[in-house]
Amino acid sequence: MASSELIPALDPMPVPGPLWLFHVLWVVTFFIHILLVNAVLGGSVIAAWAGTAKPGRRSVVELLLTLNTWAIPLSITFGIAPLLFVQVVLGRFFYTAALLVPGWWLGLLGLLMVGYYLNYLAKWRLAKGGAVGHWLVLQAICFLLVALIQVVVNLLHMQPERWASAAESVVAALRDPTLLPRFLHFLLAALAMVGGVVAWVAVRRVSGAPAGGRAELDAMARFGVKFALYATLLQLIDGFWLLFALPEEVLKAFMRSGPVAMIPLTLGILAGVVLLVVLAQVHDPLAQGTKVRRALELVVGATAVMVITRHQVREIYLAPARAAEELVTTAPWGLIALFLVIFVAGVAATVYAMVRAATDRPAAGEQAA
Amino acid sequence: MDYPIWDLALGGGVLIGIVAIAHVVVSHFAVGGGLAIALLETLAVRRGDGALRQLAYRGSWMLILVSTVFGAITGVGIWFTIGLIHPTATSSLIRTFVWGWAIEWVFFILEVTTAVAYVATWNKVRPRTHLLLIWLYAFAAFMSLVVIQGIISYMLTPGKWLETQAFWDGIWNPTYVPGLVLRTGICFFMAGAYLAFAALREQDAGARGRLVRLMAVFQVVGVLVTYGGYRWWEVALPESIRALFLGASPKLAALAATRSFLLWALAAYLVLVLFALIAPRVQRWPVTAVALIAAFAFFGGYERLREGARKPYIISDYMFSNGVLVSDIERHNREGILAHARWAARDDDGSLEGKGRAVFRAQCASCHTLDGYLSIRKLLATADADTVNVILEIMHEQGNAYTGGSVPERTALDYPVMPPFVGTAEERRALGVYLATLIPAHVAEVRHGK
Repeated sequence: MASSELIPALDPMPVPGPLWLFHVLWVVTFFIHILLVNAVLGGSVIAAWAGTAKPGRRSVVELLLTLNTWAIPLSITFGIAPLLFVQVVLGRFFYTAALLVPGWWLGLLGLLMVGYYLNYLAKWRLAKGGAVGHWLVLQAICFLLVALIQVVVNLLHMQPERWASAAESVVAALRDPTLLPRFLHFLLAALAMVGGVVAWVAVRRVSGAPAGGRAELDAMARFGVKFALYATLLQLIDGFWLLFALPEEVLKAFMRSGPVAMIPLTLGILAGVVLLVVLAQVHDPLAQGTKVRRALELVVGATAVMVITRHQVREIYLAPARAAEELVTTAPWGLIALFLVIFVAGVAATVYAMVRAATDRPAAGEQAA
Repeated sequence: MDYPIWDLALGGGVLIGIVAIAHVVVSHFAVGGGLAIALLETLAVRRGDGALRQLAYRGSWMLILVSTVFGAITGVGIWFTIGLIHPTATSSLIRTFVWGWAIEWVFFILEVTTAVAYVATWNKVRPRTHLLLIWLYAFAAFMSLVVIQGIISYMLTPGKWLETQAFWDGIWNPTYVPGLVLRTGICFFMAGAYLAFAALREQDAGARGRLVRLMAVFQVVGVLVTYGGYRWWEVALPESIRALFLGASPKLAALAATRSFLLWALAAYLVLVLFALIAPRVQRWPVTAVALIAAFAFFGGYERLREGARKPYIISDYMFSNGVLVSDIERHNREGILAHARWAARDDDGSLEGKGRAVFRAQCASCHTLDGYLSIRKLLATADADTVNVILEIMHEQGNAYTGGSVPERTALDYPVMPPFVGTAEERRALGVYLATLIPAHVAEVRHGK
């Protein structure tokens, strides 16, 4: 049986909204999700590095464990939305891909849970002065495996022509020339972003730090900048590796897609090059706070345009398999409006609560909660 | 049916059950616990009561470690699991309720951020801000229940949705409100049951008694609301479903037994929490643990009853548990099931046995394993080939009862929890041949000798 014949039939239910809206929501929510994922993945790897490679990086480890206390639950929660929208638009491809590696796909949840609990465990042990290096390494391994499983399932859902062989053996599911560069692409982006965050936090803390604390903050900032610099350098190489590892027909179709595809790609590459230049210019991060902030903005900007490119490449991968697809859509605008109103209100309430939590402090003599 | 099939010895239904029950016992605490902690801290601030504040503090750590870690991941886990076991049904649910889930997701964001912020700001912010965080959490958590209850209850009683396929008809189904009342009661008693352990950690005996009694009040109120909600839920069910677990069909005795079990569990739980209410000072953790087990027993029993009453469907009167649509029975009988089951059809090697294996995987494998849960080999242990063919014939005939727009009374069916057999006569014959190969050799020989 030809692989294309293995694509399940379209769901008979109509798509409950215009397709463009689902694509927009999917890309936007995935962007937020991937920023948080970067924080978790990059944070856990850098924390493991800082916690084992060299003594004296306690402040980096503390920062990243605190960051992950927030980033882990938020990345899971923000992952729900793109998971919803991929099922609406590409459900039959997505379910099939997950079913080709079901044990891994489900195992991802166990890894997430272990990684999450390890974060609290390491935080507590660190507060009590205990050694946490091995817990941090274990946590980083958990999240690296989660990322690998996600990449495998993502690659499978875009390539129905690989399904028949992937169904025969797990090794075949891994045999994709883009697997390694794609995985590294995510990992290096995560390292660059979190390196930037570490440096930026050190810059922010320096104004209120005691005189003796400046040296520690300087070391922290330099550590972050160095990580971001090396990760970005490797990213530029890996980015081209990934681009040219794409199947020939996908690469050609992508290159012929015109400005819609070329603008985000070019912006992404440019952002990477400029980021490299900016990071290379940072010799004294605490004194060059603006450059550190600029570097962080460039990482986030590059991630945003790369999310668009990733989405476009997926469309090209799947174009032959979806050529005959005739999706029926409905437009329940009242329901969509209700979602948007609740979304805006929910985000406003969340932001308000966070700002209150971050800024509200009892006055002198007043009791805290 | 049209997707790759995951051969899981444990059984897909059991896996869903494990993940779902692990999630609901935590998620209902996440809802009730939020409300309970909000009330505790409000009272603590108003009365300047340090013991109440300590209970709220301990409870907030339970909330974060149990609910935002375990609850959030098992919640996503349900999606992952049903996507693997019932992809067709998951796709249908997503298409029907994507906006409902999207709204629920907004409440999740508020829930998670306020939960983490609440725990992180003890001793840092003013009480007013701290209370704002926990009340926002309680609101968001309850709203997530308000949304998801519509989707859960729809699967059992889709009501007018069957005619209109409209979102609101699906949400506002006949058992939505009674089920919501029931689950709200469960949230209350789960909060009390979990937090009772935190109350027992209070060192001061007098204060401990007060806290235990307060948690007992939560549980008594929860039990009473739950009981009222349950009775209302039973009344709101269509007569055909209610009759199933009121013992109308001797073939479904397990459902009636589950109903008795859960009501007795609720009664036992009420007795235990009344004991805590009357004599809070003598309360010790073993009694609290037994009360929690009784609470779990009721809740688990209710979920089992709800799921069991839905069989043979995954979405009542619309889609069977193997992914076959009620409206597709005639088409599958005409065109053959394998024409619509691409992955299962790969097992068809051209032989009658191979085709039968493919039909088995398309129609039966979502519930039956070969040797694990609901093992088909064990079920066939006392049958012979002729019996198997007769059963398949009856199951095929059963399909006729669903055609022409009618839905049969399950109590009148020979195999009330099984979807009908759909497919061509040749596919039925092939399935019979394949199933005959699974009958243990000694049984086949004895039967043949006779």
